[in-house]
Amino acid sequence: MLFKTLGIALIIGGFGGFGLSGARRFEKRVDELKNIRMALGFLEKEITCAYTPLSRALTRTATFCEKPAALLFAESARLLNSRQGTTAEEAWRTGLQKLVEHSSLKAGDISLLDSIAVQLGRSDAGEQRKVFDLLQEELRIQEEKARAELDSGHKLWSYGGFIIGTVVVLLLI
Amino acid sequence: MLEPGKNLLRREVLPYFSTQIKDLLLNLEEDQCLRLEEIRLRCGQPLLLKVGERDFTLDRRGRLSEDIATGVRTSEEDIYRTISSISDNSLYAFAEEIRRGFITVAGGHRVGLAGQVVMQGEAVKTMKDFSSLCFRIAHEIKNCALSLLPYINSGSGNTIANTLIISPPRCGKTTILRDLARLLANNHKHQSGRNVVIVDERSELAGSYRGIPQLDVGPRTDVLDSCPKAQGMIMALRSLSPQVIITDEIGRREDVLALQECVNAGVAVISSVHAGTVDELQKRPIMRELLSSRAFKLAVILSRTNGPGSIQDIVRWD
Repeated sequence: MLFKTLGIALIIGGFGGFGLSGARRFEKRVDELKNIRMALGFLEKEITCAYTPLSRALTRTATFCEKPAALLFAESARLLNSRQGTTAEEAWRTGLQKLVEHSSLKAGDISLLDSIAVQLGRSDAGEQRKVFDLLQEELRIQEEKARAELDSGHKLWSYGGFIIGTVVVLLLI
Repeated sequence: MLEPGKNLLRREVLPYFSTQIKDLLLNLEEDQCLRLEEIRLRCGQPLLLKVGERDFTLDRRGRLSEDIATGVRTSEEDIYRTISSISDNSLYAFAEEIRRGFITVAGGHRVGLAGQVVMQGEAVKTMKDFSSLCFRIAHEIKNCALSLLPYINSGSGNTIANTLIISPPRCGKTTILRDLARLLANNHKHQSGRNVVIVDERSELAGSYRGIPQLDVGPRTDVLDSCPKAQGMIMALRSLSPQVIITDEIGRREDVLALQECVNAGVAVISSVHAGTVDELQKRPIMRELLSSRAFKLAVILSRTNGPGSIQDIVRWD
C-alpha cells in the first residue's frame, strides 16, 4: 500500500511539476520581453542622446539589464570590443544565439530582434531612433500577445499537468 | 607618437581594413611602408596604393604592381567592413565628421569618404552608401622645418615673422606647419618656447583623435580641433593668449579678416595657402587684398622637386 501511494504521488507530482515548469515559461517570456524592451530603450538613449560608441553602449546596457537579456548585449559588446573586424550585424546575431540558448523567447520574438541587426549603428542618430522606436513598439505588441497567452496557457499548463497525472494514475489502477 | 614603417602600418592602420585587404597589405616591405602615402578603396575597382610619387596595386599574392588592371578588386563588403571598423560600428557618433567628408582615426590618419550625399535644404545632412575610402597615412617628419627657423625668427628681438607657406597640394605644407608648431613651442638655442595655438579645421595638423593631438606639436601648443579657422583664430586670441597662431589653407574672406585681427593684435600668424607661385596667388582677389595689406612678412614656396617639403623659394616682404 505504501509503494502504491508513493507511486501515485510520484506520477502526479512528476506530471504536475512538468506542467508547472511549462507554465513558468509563459511568465518568463513576458518578463524577458519586457526586460529586452526596456534595455533597448536604454541602448537607444545611449546612442541617440549620448552618442556613445556602440561597443561601449552595449556594455553599459548589459550591466543595466537582467539575465538572460543581458547575455545578448554582453556577448555583442564582447565581440565588438575584441577588435577582430566583427561588424555590428555579426556581433548582434551572435549575441542573439547566446540569448536563444538561455531564454524562453519564441522564434517570432527572436526574429523581431534579428531585424535590427543590419541597421545597428549604420546611420545617424535620428535614423537610429526611428529603428529603435519601431522595434520597441513591435516588442510591446509581442509582449501583449505573450500576456494574453500567459492568462490562458498558464492555467492550462499548471492544472493540466496534475490532471494528466491523475488520469494516468486512474488508468493504471 | 608615430614610429616608422611596417610597425606603424600594422599597429595603427591595418586593424581598420577587412581581412582580405589586411592580409595583402601585410606583404608590403619596410621601405614601401615608409613611403606609403595613401590607400584607396573604390567599390569594384582595384585597390590602389600611393607609394611616393607612383600609384601601385596589389595582386592576389600581395605583390606590388604598377599594372593597375591586375590588382585585387575592392568589394562592397571590403568597404562596409572598413567603414564599420573606422567608425567603431557607430556612424551616428561621427555625424559631424561624415558631413565634412572625413574621419580622423587614432594616430592622426585621415580617412576621406565618398558615397551618396544626403542634402537638407542647401546643406549636406549626411553621407550614406559609401562607395570609396581614401586612407591618408599621417607622416610626421621631425625637424623638416628647422631650416626655416632663422628666416621666421629674423625679426628684431624675439619676434616671429608672419609667414605664408605657399604650396600646391601634396607638397608637404601640413607637415612643415606641424613641425614649425613643434619647433616654436620648444626651447631652441637661445630662444625660449612660445605659446602656440593651432586652429586645426580639418584635424590634419595635429591629427587629433577625440580631441587629443596624436602627433607631436610641442609642449606649449593648444589645439582647437575641427574649429573653423576664422572663429578659431578669434577664440584663441581672446582666451588662450597665444604668441603664435598656426592654421592651414586660408582662402575665404572671413579667414583673411580674422588673420588681420590677429596680426594687428600683435600675434604672429603662420599659415598656408594653395598656389604654385606668388604670382598665381596674386591672381586671386581675396589673396591679392591680403598680400597688399602687408600682413605677411615672409613667404615660403614649397615644391616636390626633392620630395615633399622641398623649399623652392623664400620671399621677404619687410
